[in-house]
Amino acid sequence: MKINLLKYIKITSFLVALLLNIHSNAQESDASNYNMSFEFKTVKQHDNSRLLEASFTGKNKEDRKDVIPMFDAEIKFFNVLNEDEVLLGAAKTSQAGIAQITLPENQKYLTDEDGNINLVARFEGNVNVEESSAEIVVKNIYLELNLEEIDSVKTVLVSAFTIDELGDKIPLEEEIDIVLYVQGMLSKMKIAEGSISEGAYEFEFPTDLPGDVKGDVTVFSIIEGHEEYGTVIQKKNAKWGVFQQQIKKTKNTLWSSAAPIWMYVVLTILLVGVWANYIYTIINLFIIRKEGKDLELETES
Amino acid sequence: MNIDTRKRELVKELSPMLEKSSLLSKIWIAALISIILVGLYAFVLQLANGHEVTGMRDNVVWGIYIVNFIFFVCLSYSGAFIAGVLHFFETPLKNSIARIVEITTVLSLIIGPVFILLCIGRLDRLYYLFLYPRIQSPISWDIIAILTDLIGCFVYLYLTFIPDLAILRDASKENAEVPNWRKKMYRFLAIGYQGTPSQHKRLHKIIRIMSVMIIAMAIVAYSVLAWIFSLTVQPGWNSTIFAPYFIISGLYSGIAVIIIAMYIIRKFYKLEKYITKIHFFAGGVMLLIISLLYGYFTFSEYFSRWFSHKKHDVDLLNTLFSRYFWQFIFANYFGILMPIAILFFKKLRTVKLVTIAAIISVLGIWLNKYLIVVPTLETPYLPIQDTRAEFVHYTATWVEWSLSLTGIAAFCLFFTLILKFVPAIPMSGIIDLEKGKQSKREKNNPIVTEF
Repeated sequence: MKINLLKYIKITSFLVALLLNIHSNAQESDASNYNMSFEFKTVKQHDNSRLLEASFTGKNKEDRKDVIPMFDAEIKFFNVLNEDEVLLGAAKTSQAGIAQITLPENQKYLTDEDGNINLVARFEGNVNVEESSAEIVVKNIYLELNLEEIDSVKTVLVSAFTIDELGDKIPLEEEIDIVLYVQGMLSKMKIAEGSISEGAYEFEFPTDLPGDVKGDVTVFSIIEGHEEYGTVIQKKNAKWGVFQQQIKKTKNTLWSSAAPIWMYVVLTILLVGVWANYIYTIINLFIIRKEGKDLELETES
Repeated sequence: MNIDTRKRELVKELSPMLEKSSLLSKIWIAALISIILVGLYAFVLQLANGHEVTGMRDNVVWGIYIVNFIFFVCLSYSGAFIAGVLHFFETPLKNSIARIVEITTVLSLIIGPVFILLCIGRLDRLYYLFLYPRIQSPISWDIIAILTDLIGCFVYLYLTFIPDLAILRDASKENAEVPNWRKKMYRFLAIGYQGTPSQHKRLHKIIRIMSVMIIAMAIVAYSVLAWIFSLTVQPGWNSTIFAPYFIISGLYSGIAVIIIAMYIIRKFYKLEKYITKIHFFAGGVMLLIISLLYGYFTFSEYFSRWFSHKKHDVDLLNTLFSRYFWQFIFANYFGILMPIAILFFKKLRTVKLVTIAAIISVLGIWLNKYLIVVPTLETPYLPIQDTRAEFVHYTATWVEWSLSLTGIAAFCLFFTLILKFVPAIPMSGIIDLEKGKQSKREKNNPIVTEF
């Protein structure tokens, strides 16, 4: 892994050098070995904001497995309609070659008569790397997720709709795939796959899923990479998890709350030994006292 | 030898120190009380303002209070050790010095732990230590060891007092000069001891058992005290020889303090007849042997640190040889070599020179403990940066010095007061010794009766 990272750092640095337009013939000839690849996707997030993400990589012409990210390249994002082009924002690629911007829920888009939004991500190029761009067309769709107990059955209710010009919800007519997940510690765990039909989907939540310490679970409903709507995510929390306390057998160690057994044993032996001797001494003192008293009585009588 | 007559003679000889107070002793007590009163004022200041009035800060959280604690507790353990050895082996020298050793033991064990209390920032949380003790912690072991040892030493001291209390009880019965409260006190504490053979045998048996026990307890408690330091990974503390090193250094300071106490008591109470030159000679030889051992341990400790060349040990040694150069030289060269130089030559083992050697030893050992505690805390693994020098380095304030002197003054005051109650020389011990000599003589020269 370390070797791979080192490899990436070297090549990425080399590409950065290209982007910064360092004059070197050797490097230019090396860059020519790579085809620039530009991927663009959009994710509608749970708060109805829209994430635009462009991935900019170089693929080796000879070795297809050799894919390297483009670092520090400025990517501009546009909303295009016919000849109109509105700049939505710009971001530089990360070390993984990814540039992202997030558009708020109330972002106004240029749409055609079918409600399609045309989005473009573009790298404008420099002397060494040519211009690249990618385009996607999505429709704005809304997902609503409700977690309700219906007749004591924990039920996940998903509805998908669009909003018309008057602001009314129009249920989705076509059938589209949806996946349900719950959030785990490191990643999401798939719990159901289904289809939204007539704008709704219903699922009975399992009763044996563990939640966090408080018993909370986070449920995700996701339309994944749909060609018309892109990726749409919705999530909600509910106290539906079963908190399973892990019962760990505690060991008696120097650093645990209970000390090693031998420590108790040694300390007890030492203390019992010493205190037994104190008691023995005191008993003897009482015997001496009694003898003294008897002697006194004898003398007096 | 008529025992009753001998008892009366001894009481007559030694009781003036109990009954009369000279002008000098009154001045002495007044001076000690004055020091204690200043100390009480300092204590109130510390209680009201917190540790801000001391030199202790974030880096150096232990100052001279802990040094005094170690010094007094080590003194006590060594006293217990020496008292135990004197009784167990029934050495002839014990009669003159045993009481001084026993009183030193108990008083230092009472005063030493008080310094720990002064060192605690949140005294109001002290009871947590007893409510939620961690048996794995050397601090818990130390508390258990000190409390157990304190009770043991009290019991032991009391046992050795009983025959003398009985003698004083009997002597005070017909003496109108002795106040009633004192008569009652002697009567109560003597628990009806009449010196009958069975009482004598029983008392000596339990004293003998206790003497063995307090030797063992002193070794355990010494080691636990050393482990408070050596079980940490701090440079200068994390050492495998710290426990025996503490035992040797404790004995060194213990013998030295006993010699000083012997000198003062001998001079003040005019006890030249009982505390003789032989006692100082023997004390000097003991001090010489222990100083050689102590010097060897000190050399081993620092030499291995220097030779290992570990970064933090080197930093510590650099601190010791720069900021603490003269203190280090005094503690570990002058404080060891000078007593050795004095005591090595037989001709120099006089009363005064042995006492001077003992004073140098005590000062050296106190400084040695200071150099164990403070410089290590001044060279931590993660140094504080961008802060004032007084937060990094430690200098004791007048409050700390005053409270330290108060500890010494309290020790001297209690010692003086105890000697107002029982004589410094155990009368019963002298009688036992004389009885032993007589029976030996009778064995060697049996009385022949002619018919």
